[in-house]
Amino acid sequence: MANVAKKVSWSGRDGDDEEDGRAGETTPLLNGTGPGAAGSGRQLTPSSFLRIGQLTNVDLNEDIHELEREIPRQRPNEIPHNEKLLSLKYESLDYDNSENQLFLEEERRINHAAFRTVEIKRWVICAMIGILTGLVACFIDIVVENLAGLKYRVVKDNIDKFTAKGGLSFSLLLWATLNASVVMVGSLIVAFIEPVAAGSGIPQIKCYLNGVKIPHVVRLKTLVIKVCGVILSVVGGLAVGKEGPMIHSGSVIAAGISQGRSTSLKRDFKIFEYFRRDTEKRDFVSAGAAAGVSAAFGAPVGGVLFSLEEGASFWNQFLTWRIFFASMISTFTLNSVLSVYHGNAWDLSSPGLINFGSFDSEKMGYTIQEIPIFMFMGVVGGILGALFNALNYWLTMFRIRYIHRPCLQVVEAMLVAAVTATVGFVMIYCSRDCQPIQGSSVAYPLQLFCADGEYNSMATAFFNTPEKSVVNLFHDPPGSYNPMTLGMFTLMYFFLACWTYGLTVSAGVFIPSLLIGAAWGRLFGISLSYLTKGSIWADPGKYALMGAAAQLGGIVRMTLSLTVIMMEATGNVTYGFPIMLVLMTAKIVGDYFVEGLYDMHIQLQSVPFLHWEAPVTSHSLTAREVMSTPVTCLRRIERVGTVVDILSDTSSNHNGFPVVESNPDSTQVAGLRGLILRSQLIVLLKHKVFVERANLNMVQRRLKLKDFRDAYPRFPPIQSIHVSQDERECMIDLSEFMNPSPYTVPQEASLPRVFKLFRALGLRHLVVVDNRNEVVGMVTRKDLARYRLGKEGLEELSLAQT
Amino acid sequence: ALELAQELAEELWSAGLPGDLPELEPECRSLLAAFAEGSAALTGCLGRRARPVRLCQGCHGHYRRLLAQYGSIARAVGNSSESHNCAKSILTSDRLQVVVTLSEFFNETWEAANCANCLKNNSEGLSNSTEEFLDLFNKSLTCFEHNLQGQAIDLSPNNYTEVCKNCNETYTKLNDLYNHLQRMNRQGGESAHSAHLCIDIEDAMNITRKLWSRTFNCSLPCSDTVPVIAVSSFILFLPIVFYLSSFLHSKQKKRILILPKRIQSNANLVNIQEKYS
Repeated sequence: MANVAKKVSWSGRDGDDEEDGRAGETTPLLNGTGPGAAGSGRQLTPSSFLRIGQLTNVDLNEDIHELEREIPRQRPNEIPHNEKLLSLKYESLDYDNSENQLFLEEERRINHAAFRTVEIKRWVICAMIGILTGLVACFIDIVVENLAGLKYRVVKDNIDKFTAKGGLSFSLLLWATLNASVVMVGSLIVAFIEPVAAGSGIPQIKCYLNGVKIPHVVRLKTLVIKVCGVILSVVGGLAVGKEGPMIHSGSVIAAGISQGRSTSLKRDFKIFEYFRRDTEKRDFVSAGAAAGVSAAFGAPVGGVLFSLEEGASFWNQFLTWRIFFASMISTFTLNSVLSVYHGNAWDLSSPGLINFGSFDSEKMGYTIQEIPIFMFMGVVGGILGALFNALNYWLTMFRIRYIHRPCLQVVEAMLVAAVTATVGFVMIYCSRDCQPIQGSSVAYPLQLFCADGEYNSMATAFFNTPEKSVVNLFHDPPGSYNPMTLGMFTLMYFFLACWTYGLTVSAGVFIPSLLIGAAWGRLFGISLSYLTKGSIWADPGKYALMGAAAQLGGIVRMTLSLTVIMMEATGNVTYGFPIMLVLMTAKIVGDYFVEGLYDMHIQLQSVPFLHWEAPVTSHSLTAREVMSTPVTCLRRIERVGTVVDILSDTSSNHNGFPVVESNPDSTQVAGLRGLILRSQLIVLLKHKVFVERANLNMVQRRLKLKDFRDAYPRFPPIQSIHVSQDERECMIDLSEFMNPSPYTVPQEASLPRVFKLFRALGLRHLVVVDNRNEVVGMVTRKDLARYRLGKEGLEELSLAQT
Repeated sequence: ALELAQELAEELWSAGLPGDLPELEPECRSLLAAFAEGSAALTGCLGRRARPVRLCQGCHGHYRRLLAQYGSIARAVGNSSESHNCAKSILTSDRLQVVVTLSEFFNETWEAANCANCLKNNSEGLSNSTEEFLDLFNKSLTCFEHNLQGQAIDLSPNNYTEVCKNCNETYTKLNDLYNHLQRMNRQGGESAHSAHLCIDIEDAMNITRKLWSRTFNCSLPCSDTVPVIAVSSFILFLPIVFYLSSFLHSKQKKRILILPKRIQSNANLVNIQEKYS
């Protein structure tokens, strides 16, 4: 009976002899699984039934009662949405393993060889994640290429026709209507079917890896909507890219495969059952995110580092190696399938959705004198990025407050699409920048008012998918664009992209940022070469690349992973150093003004996101001030009715309950014995694991860990579980299901200390105990996330229903 | 060619090498001489026809002959005894390898010009479509010339309306044919060949287009600025209406604050900040 011994020694840790003794007395209860032992437990309970039944709330402090009385005259509790809120909608994920008796039993049963197979299965899953992510990326790429090609051909033919005859306003209407209708479909499916698929998905995945459960974020439905939405919004000509959503798609694929079933499709393949819990799923999701990055940019190492940067508090070497494997498989799959599609099967020349093209180090090399220039570009990128984020912040706030109805969101998206087309058309119409056609470098050359045999160079930037425009800006020979064109393009695209991000369509911000940056970078390069009277080293393509890096860094503020992604996408290691410097400067300058776009959106969504560390000036706060109290506790042997009542109480939707000693004598303190989760209680109620039934031999079999895993991740709500009046009087023995050794902190622990423990271990509940091991409070994610370092020092966010 | 071979031998002699040294077989010597002559002819042809570009039309015969000559040098290994190893002695026995370099240069130029595109499959003569195109091209040039002569009396530079009117038909035909050829080429040709037509056609078209739209200023598209401005300002106006109306009419989303269960003393933020200030 190793587990019993463990319990005794655990409770002995608090040094309270009385309690220790009591734990020894009640040890027969721990064997409550056996009918006989449970019988003895049964005899103990009736006497204490009523009295302790009322004592569900272990109120320990007088001032708590004061607090409760004060509630009615608090400030008005309806406020407009602002960024200083934490939503109740978001729960934590259970990363902490519940080491209850069932777990120990299972571990004993599974022998060494079985653990080997588990390890092999992990590798198999990672390979499958890579392959499927690559295939999804291929699908998106091919469909976008064909549909966008079709659209541009139709519009081009129309424009060509009307240029000769007059009536270009019809072409404008055609273009705007086409865009708006395609975007309408894309926006409709997102707004009405799965709103969580909106945006790039990177903030959501960041939150997931941080340990926040965003509802619906890793469902199959989300994946389908995301993929279709991305295709439609790119085809719809919005200022968006398809790279960011790949990360989300990869994560959903990973979460789906690792579970070996789909709840949406109601199919269970009965495989990978071992991985049906949050801890394992998180590891695979980080692999999926890495695979997504790697498919999007052809950057396997960048993908691994992205996962590392976003979810780094839970990390180990084996996991890194597996994630790297998934990334490699993903980019390889994409590469081979796309090369087959393009007709040169063994060429393997398209490792990512976007290829920056090869940067010839001979022609595009840099010298040491240029490094200050690059850093200056970083400063510009940081400032522009901060401006972008600030504008987007106001816009998003407005959207949350006023444009919250789905129909309005769809209309907004359509308007943006129409305006994007109009702006593009007007720019092309007004531009007098004509360039001779050189072979097939331009996909859809628009002649418009240019001489025969020439094309409008503004059209290469606007009349094209953003990915192609980026590559054109990097690689078109010097002189392909005149400065006026680039300047106008940068200005317009900046506002369009800023306006577009945050719409209810699934779309990423990577490519628009790169495009803005490439445009002003190229402009910068041209003016530089003009100033220096055409020195050889001022190749505009190189400056376009640096500008793109600076702008992207200024907007998203990623550091390590972005450097590596850019390096891998250019395929040139020597650019690593300047890109790093550019990104660093952009981040430093940008952070001086506002935070990064993703962090900003996480904050605006009121997500309880835990940053790397607690706010620096918070050491004087102690766990006592941070924690929530009073805590709803359960006794180790609890009446079923009480459990049901607690679970159905909508006002306190708790997910974890400390289990205290069920000693009938109320004068004695109720020491902490363990922690049980709502999901576990629901499974117990569902299977009616009651002490009385066990006595009557009504339970056919003992519960196994598998029963808990089968219910994961969508545990039924308490309302769906029927408990009859008779059953309400039964008792339920929690001792073998609870986690017997929950993490605890003393009341005096400082906030940073609590934070570190919580963040590093990925906890969901942290029990605060006094020196007699009594439960005084509970620290959860929302208690910690509400402290933030604002402009005027430490701020406290308020909780709100959203 | 025989004379040249003789000359070569003499040169060798004067360079201090005994004439009968089996440095270069007479057969090889004559092959080399033929190659030299052929390449000289081709170079001359290419140079003369550089502007306006007429490479493929004029030099394909030279190019084909040179290819054959190079081929016979390279192939000489197999068809005779071991001593007749011309390929080895001409092509690979020194660092410079002039013959190889020359032949590579010609091949590359030919490839870049994409001449194969307007020649027949066996590269004897121009293909039918090319002939047709050149025919049309000449026709339009004559048309231009013709109409300009008639107009020579008033030489005001902007007054080419006569040309535009009279030659429009030929020019449009030529343009259409060119576009058609381009499309055919893009569909039919494999990706490695890229989408280029042969340089002769491209250059001819460029010249004509430049004359047409730059010199004669014939392609004046109708610019309908007013409707475009009207439509675009209408579309640009829509979002303003949308945002204003949703700001005025939509109910602002309110959040219901939830009061946390906490110990009241000290948990107050004012206190925290007072501690620090």
